[in-house]
Amino acid sequence: MNPDNGKKRPTAQTGVYKPESIKDVADSLNLPNISDTVASALASDVEYRIHQVIEEAARFMRHGRRTIMTTADIEQALRVLNIEPLYGHSSHNPPTFKRALPFPNAPAAGSVYFVEDEEIDFDRVLREERTTLPKGVSWTAHWLAVEGVQPLIPENPPAIPKELPPADVKPTLTNGVTAAATPTTPALVATKKQEQQLQQQQQLVKQVLSRELQLYYTRLTSSLLPPGSDLTKRDAALASLRSDAGLQALLPYLIKWVGDGVVRGLKDGGMSEMDGRILDVLISVTGALLSNSTLFVEPYLHQMLPPILSTLLHSSLPPTHATLLRTSAAQTLSRLLTEHSTTYPSLSPRIMKTLLLALISPGKSSGTRQGAIRGLVGIGKEAIRKGLVEGGGAKVVGSECSDDTSLVNAVLDALRVLRVPADMVDSLDVTNTDDLAVLVELKVILGDFFADLVAEDAGWARTILGANSAS
Amino acid sequence: MGNPSNIQNLLASIGPVGAEDILSLDPTDKQEGYRELEAWVDGSLDMYRPEFRPILFPIFCHFYLDLIQRGLKDAAVKFYSSFASSLAASHSAILHHISTLLLPAHVQNDEIAQRFRDEKYVVRMSRSGFGLLVGWLTEGVGGEAFGAGDGFTGELGKRGRVSVMRVVNNHLRFDVTSSNTTSVSPNSWEESTGLLSSLIPRANVNNPQAFNVSRGDLKLGPAPLPDELRAETQRVLREQALVDRDPIAQYDVQVTRQVIPGVVNPAESDLLPHPPAFRTLDVEREANHVRDARKRIRLEPSLLVNMDPNSTQAAAVKSRALPSICAYTLHDVPEGAPCCTFSPDTSMMAAGFAESYIRLWSLKGEKLRGLRSDFTSTSIKDSSSLRKIREKGGSITRKLIGHSGPVYSVAFDPLSGSAAAPKYLLSSSADATARLWSMETMTNIVAYRGHENPVWDVKWSPLGIYFATGSRDRTARLWSTDRISCLRVYAGHLSDVDCVQFHPNSLYLATGSSDWTARLWDVQRGSCVRVFIGHQGAVSSLAMSPDGRYLASAGEDLAINLWDLGSGKRIKKMTGHTSSIYSLAFSAESSLLVSGGADWTVRCWDVKSAGGSRQKPRENGNSSFMSMGLATGEPSATPLSYGDEENMETVDLLATFPTKRTPITNVQFTPRNLCLVAGNYLSPVV
Repeated sequence: MNPDNGKKRPTAQTGVYKPESIKDVADSLNLPNISDTVASALASDVEYRIHQVIEEAARFMRHGRRTIMTTADIEQALRVLNIEPLYGHSSHNPPTFKRALPFPNAPAAGSVYFVEDEEIDFDRVLREERTTLPKGVSWTAHWLAVEGVQPLIPENPPAIPKELPPADVKPTLTNGVTAAATPTTPALVATKKQEQQLQQQQQLVKQVLSRELQLYYTRLTSSLLPPGSDLTKRDAALASLRSDAGLQALLPYLIKWVGDGVVRGLKDGGMSEMDGRILDVLISVTGALLSNSTLFVEPYLHQMLPPILSTLLHSSLPPTHATLLRTSAAQTLSRLLTEHSTTYPSLSPRIMKTLLLALISPGKSSGTRQGAIRGLVGIGKEAIRKGLVEGGGAKVVGSECSDDTSLVNAVLDALRVLRVPADMVDSLDVTNTDDLAVLVELKVILGDFFADLVAEDAGWARTILGANSAS
Repeated sequence: MGNPSNIQNLLASIGPVGAEDILSLDPTDKQEGYRELEAWVDGSLDMYRPEFRPILFPIFCHFYLDLIQRGLKDAAVKFYSSFASSLAASHSAILHHISTLLLPAHVQNDEIAQRFRDEKYVVRMSRSGFGLLVGWLTEGVGGEAFGAGDGFTGELGKRGRVSVMRVVNNHLRFDVTSSNTTSVSPNSWEESTGLLSSLIPRANVNNPQAFNVSRGDLKLGPAPLPDELRAETQRVLREQALVDRDPIAQYDVQVTRQVIPGVVNPAESDLLPHPPAFRTLDVEREANHVRDARKRIRLEPSLLVNMDPNSTQAAAVKSRALPSICAYTLHDVPEGAPCCTFSPDTSMMAAGFAESYIRLWSLKGEKLRGLRSDFTSTSIKDSSSLRKIREKGGSITRKLIGHSGPVYSVAFDPLSGSAAAPKYLLSSSADATARLWSMETMTNIVAYRGHENPVWDVKWSPLGIYFATGSRDRTARLWSTDRISCLRVYAGHLSDVDCVQFHPNSLYLATGSSDWTARLWDVQRGSCVRVFIGHQGAVSSLAMSPDGRYLASAGEDLAINLWDLGSGKRIKKMTGHTSSIYSLAFSAESSLLVSGGADWTVRCWDVKSAGGSRQKPRENGNSSFMSMGLATGEPSATPLSYGDEENMETVDLLATFPTKRTPITNVQFTPRNLCLVAGNYLSPVV
């Protein structure tokens, strides 16, 4: 170091380590009179050494695969630089420096920093703090990408929304009118759908029910259940559900209410008359929700179906209401399918499969079977043909429970749907070879019991068979 | 005459140096000279700017070091603060380093400063560009925008130019290419530039390309299989095919070693010595190789080329182009887990921790039970009695304790391949040792001492038995598991060897270093055969393509460079990561590269496509407009466009998969091309 150079310039400093600090350290080492030049030169040098250590520590940080430097890195750096480590620093509680209050009697001292010694009250610590042993390191595995597509699972971060044009631009594009125009002009169905979807999305983001809706919900549910209190009130409530707009926000709650109610009604035996009435009301509510044209129910179909199907297929409904309940559930199911099977083409086949299983698997109660048949009627002709004729439903019913008249009637009702209305009714003639062949085939398909019943109407029998052979 | 003493002093000091040097003591001419140079570079035509910009950095450094060396600290600090910002985008590490030099003594002792002083800084330039630069240095004109040259003709301007010229003459060397300015991509001006002479192992060659050419051709083909081993493997495969009644089953071992035209295959004698007899394990491994090759998920990223990434066709093609990635996330890691790896048969995962231990997990849920040490050797007769001396109980995770510093790298031995669980694990640590762990006894068997400093990386040779380490002591070493001292020392890097990687045929070893270079070494001879210069930061990770032709290197400049091993030339530079890149892996077809890093993402890159920046070339009209603005003296606007280009995503970035908060420390492909990544979850700071 050349002291001449030092003299030429003032002691102005830019680094983090100030010459004043050097002087403080010198004071503490009993070297009171250290010149500005020396202090400044030493400060520069100290700063350089600090940077050396930090650059070294940065390597340890990098190899430790971290982006934050820890005291352990500094310690490693000091170790490889062959410097005595600084003891007493751990990364668990890095020391925080505090600035002391300025000394009024020695303003020249400048600001003084210190590490605060925390006072620990053992009494308090022993009494209050429960040190829990940390859990060991563990791992989880998840799919970050499946064939190049990141699955939307909780382990992955939510997808970054693509920069879509703002929502209000869209109607402008589809309608071809300016953004200022209100969308109440002959609105396209697509636009309405979009709005509904948008509304849906907003609800996903934040579900806040207004006080009015909450009040409505309480009043509605209390007037519907328990049943039998006031019929006019109940009818008014159902009418409101059927036609009132603005219930979209309540829809998930109502559906959940229906679902819970059905579960409760069916769980405790479901044999009392009260249960029957409750179920009746709940099915009516579902029907009302489906018929309300202002509601967008499609996202909730999977939640609406279980209550309907449970009612339809439950083995032991209250005897007083069984037929009524199954019929209304089948009607509701039928309406749901006619309205939404176009959007979900796989819906009808899936439900048909469920019903078919309930119908033909051995050991099901006659109630379940009756419900399944009514459900098939609700789905349509095709389902009856598939289920009763081709799937062998009629055969099973005929062989296992031919003594249950209501079930037999249900099957006949269903089969009658297939019949082409004819003026003249003549039975199959056993002596005629053609007719005999039909009868034999009929017996194969429907089983003896129903074949005999159907054989009374030759046209009917032929339609059933014709449809079968045609398909 | 009786001169005053101070004048006599002055005369004495003049003695050896010229009067011009005394004049140059005035710090203002450096300031002025650099300002003019910067203005001239930024005012130059758009096509020349990318090749002129690199000369600013060495001149800046030399000016700063000159000022410090003369003891003009304040002038140096002022100089630094006024000009460093425009260079910070691409040179922040070095700039920060030299900014810490504040006293002449530091310059004398500092390594980087001394390299600047002693070595020529190589700058690439086209012939026409070089002509323009010489014109400006001598005449003060040429190349700058109209109306910008007025201030340069003054006396101060002239002195400034002289000082620039002095640096250019003394410390710069121009690598003038004959190729046209426009035919060189803006990014490639940095390739093979910088302080080269000490990076190149041979003194008389001063161009890395010339060096690479002088080292001759490499044998990059797959390693040959001993004939008996091949025959035995084929027999096993054929039998298996008969048992499975699978007539189309492939039992030609050669299927995994397809011949690429123009690549020389090594002979058996070129390989490192291996035991003469093969074992059942070897046969099983080779047989499984063939099976894996047959059952591999094919990845064809080239299908995605020329497709709009958002279109529906692209979505359909994606499944054939991009891998499935399974992420293993470590939770509740207190101080960090620097490394993590999976065994080739994916039955085990190992992670090294900052708390000096290694933890093993069985990924199949089987219990990890070691052999007990208290047994009588006479009682062991067959495999069932061997099973009896296994520990009772056990759990699916196991802690291996032995190191006395953070564990920086772990590696499972490749010998059993995907056929069986590995038998050994290697680890390296800050305690300057590498350790071999037996997976049978779950204990440490050997500690390999020899490095004097933390060992950053350890890798097995692809054929087992041998392994390589890279250390802070600036060497890489080759070891064999049965010797406690190293077999070869690969010395030549100017800074830490941060990562090592074997060539698939185990003839060569690649090393990446903090001196910004990667090197390829002949494993047996211990000589450097290739130097790869082009990164603008320490090299943090390396990967070799399974076909043996490419080296991918990731640097702290957040770029991934792809190198052709045969020629030593850079094929392309891939950018897109926004933080350090920790790990790279090639797919089995060598067509896809996956990278993971501190920006919590896993990215997939197309190896075969040409790459390049997404940005369209800027219009000429635009640039001249900009240069007008700059020449009138608004230095603040200068670095914008330059810095932006650095962080651009290149077009060969096929996909980015973010994780929640997990820096990815390991990326690897299973033999059947499923991608496994691992990292430790960082809980948000509360």
